[in-house]
Amino acid sequence: MTPPADADALREALKARIRGIMARDRPEDPAEVDALALQVLRHQARGNPVYGTLLRNRGLDPEALLHWTAFPPVPARAFRIHSPFVGDPEGAEATFVTSGTTAGPVGGEGAGAARGVHRVRDLSLYHASLLPTAGAHLRDPGEGGVLRVLALMPSPGELPGSSLVHMAGVLAGAWDDGGGAFLAGPDWRLDGARVARAFARAREDRVPVLLLATAFALVHLLDQVAGTSALLLPAGSRVMETGGFKGRSREVPRGALYEEVARRLGVPPERIVNEYGMSELLSQFYEPVLAEGGPADPEARRLVSPPWVRTRVLDPVTLEPAPVGSPGLLCHLDLANLDSAALLLTEDLGVEVPAPGPERRGGFRVLGRNPGAPPRGCSLSIEGWMEAAG
Amino acid sequence: MSGARASAALLDGLEADGGEVLRGLGFRGRLRLLAEAGSRFLDPDDPLAREALHRLPADSGLPAAECSRVLAGMARDWTSERLAAAIRADFPDPGVLDGFVAGVRGARERVVPPRLLVQVCAGNVPGTGATALLRGLLVGAPTLLKSAEGDRVLPELLGRAIREADPRLGAAFALAEWKGGAGTGIEREALARAERVVVYGGKEAVAGVRVLAGPLTPVVAYGPRVSFGVVLRSATGAEAPVEDCARAASAYAQRGCVSPQLVFVEEGGERSAESWAEALAEVLARLGNEPDPGAAPGMRALREEADFAAAAGRGDRAWGGPEAGWMVVFEPGVRPFEPSPLGRTVRVRPIGSVEELPGILAPARQVLQCAGVEGREPARSGAALLLARAGVTRITPFRDQPWPPAWWRHDGEGPLRVLVRWVSLEGPPEGTLGP
Repeated sequence: MTPPADADALREALKARIRGIMARDRPEDPAEVDALALQVLRHQARGNPVYGTLLRNRGLDPEALLHWTAFPPVPARAFRIHSPFVGDPEGAEATFVTSGTTAGPVGGEGAGAARGVHRVRDLSLYHASLLPTAGAHLRDPGEGGVLRVLALMPSPGELPGSSLVHMAGVLAGAWDDGGGAFLAGPDWRLDGARVARAFARAREDRVPVLLLATAFALVHLLDQVAGTSALLLPAGSRVMETGGFKGRSREVPRGALYEEVARRLGVPPERIVNEYGMSELLSQFYEPVLAEGGPADPEARRLVSPPWVRTRVLDPVTLEPAPVGSPGLLCHLDLANLDSAALLLTEDLGVEVPAPGPERRGGFRVLGRNPGAPPRGCSLSIEGWMEAAG
Repeated sequence: MSGARASAALLDGLEADGGEVLRGLGFRGRLRLLAEAGSRFLDPDDPLAREALHRLPADSGLPAAECSRVLAGMARDWTSERLAAAIRADFPDPGVLDGFVAGVRGARERVVPPRLLVQVCAGNVPGTGATALLRGLLVGAPTLLKSAEGDRVLPELLGRAIREADPRLGAAFALAEWKGGAGTGIEREALARAERVVVYGGKEAVAGVRVLAGPLTPVVAYGPRVSFGVVLRSATGAEAPVEDCARAASAYAQRGCVSPQLVFVEEGGERSAESWAEALAEVLARLGNEPDPGAAPGMRALREEADFAAAAGRGDRAWGGPEAGWMVVFEPGVRPFEPSPLGRTVRVRPIGSVEELPGILAPARQVLQCAGVEGREPARSGAALLLARAGVTRITPFRDQPWPPAWWRHDGEGPLRVLVRWVSLEGPPEGTLGP
């Protein structure tokens, strides 16, 4: 066991190197992330007794493993059992709770509920990851100045446990011109008239808007507010869409939703950016449509990772890399998770998407929990149960 | 003929000619002919049974050996004796199917089948569609059956057997396929004209059907459900329930909603819940099932979670995995109710007493199906009462769990009764004007 003082010193050194990559938005060389990841995972194996035990139970010696891909990932669902943390959890600066619940379709909070908890030791590292990534994908290339940040979400004060709402608060703090607002109540309910007033003010002020919204909030908004002009946003606006429907609204195919947003809000599909994030990860993934000018068709897009994140698509049976183009479980290495679990196995299936050109990055597409699977019969599986729970 | 006109002609024919044929046969005639057709699938030398066994693996995605068990288990309910038992369970006086019979306090009553019954199957276990077809025709309802991926062969072959039993019956049913929810062609027309609809599937399939059927048409929905097992203290030491549970979880690769996904084992008996889980794993390993690729992601997530929980000192243990084609996870402590990822995955959880079950099962009350319960009386009946109140609709030994009988009250309702309309005839039998 590394003495605590040494562990702290090592952590500070690792954090400085990670922040260095985040600040320049690229590693010095491709091997830099590999080397750093190996050290981060060894640090976590030493500093998180549960992760250390997991390795030991599998006969793995972290000091003898030579590449980060040899480490076992922490499953996302494990956050329900034990919040991975290196250091004293009492010192966490924030605690995020996963949005999903396994309480079931007719359950609720209490004995049946189980949410994952992600304790964040160091918000500065989270923000250092969050801002440049969002800037690269939610701002136009070379765009400076302020925006109007409007969020169809509760405010961070109302919902401090939501990593998505926290992120929206950070973006508003960094970019908002002072006229922005969080436009949903603590229960995510929208007041359509209030949203329409906020949009009207942005039109009067002629400030481009960054609209942050879940897919279900967009559907609620479009359903609530009638008319073709009430929801028009100023020129240069863009929408960040995230989070799916979670059973909170009728489900609308993404292409149809984007077309409707374009028609009613005046934001063309190629300026609607899908963000994919998880409470268990402090870095996010975006579709690079603003930087690359499209495509408009959401089915033709890919999500890309920031340079300090590596995404692997793993065969669910063997956990070995799936052949390129074959679906598999998404497994993310995220160096921003320095103090929790840097290697995370999600329950989402995805497929690798090669770089569309020489100057562009490859990425992945999320297919969901169990897409195109053969018929599952009339048994209600855990996937169906969790989907029903939202 | 255009698609729309062909659909209309098909539905016209079912309503008019099909209805007449079915009425003309009476329930005894229908029973005899349908049983003649259905029981052919129990004869291994029958060409249709052979064709079924040949085509089922590709159709259902199940291994050949499993297909043999499925066909035998399904077709056993398609015999004269068992179809008659199913009728008697729902209509103690089957005469109501053919005419008015004496009912309560002098009134007479009968049932009337729908002019057109549409049954929408949705990617179900093989045999579900064929059984649905038999049920509809048995009560005299001209039936349009929408087959589904994974269950196309048996409706087709049973249909052929029915036509061979009596070619006139060919006018009483049709098999169709459409992409659910598209709301085009025959789907829209059939659901709009149906007098009653049965739909198997999840909430989206059901919601789509309800929209097209309209607000006044009765829709019987069989949605996904979850079944489990309970091993009472008195049964923990017995070997047979372990073996039977493994087989029940393996049937249909656990796709059927009657296969157990969790087993609650009462502590304090001859064998601990953990040892029971280990014994179950040994049997599943011996049964040697093939991996189920569709279940692999969920199985992997559960396996990784169990390993992590073990490292966190929660006492979880896991045997098997997606590569083995089965998995057992022992999960001690207080856990939220959760189904398994299927693929022959059983979650074994210790309980101090069956008295804990109503609380554990409460979040799943509306999706519970059946419970395999093993133990001596009177404890078993006591557990049954608790489970009945908790939402379970069938309590059975593990041995029979995957094979509910033909007279089973599907989701707690008589499967034939839900297809028909009751009509009462009041007033004296001699007429209202007196002699």
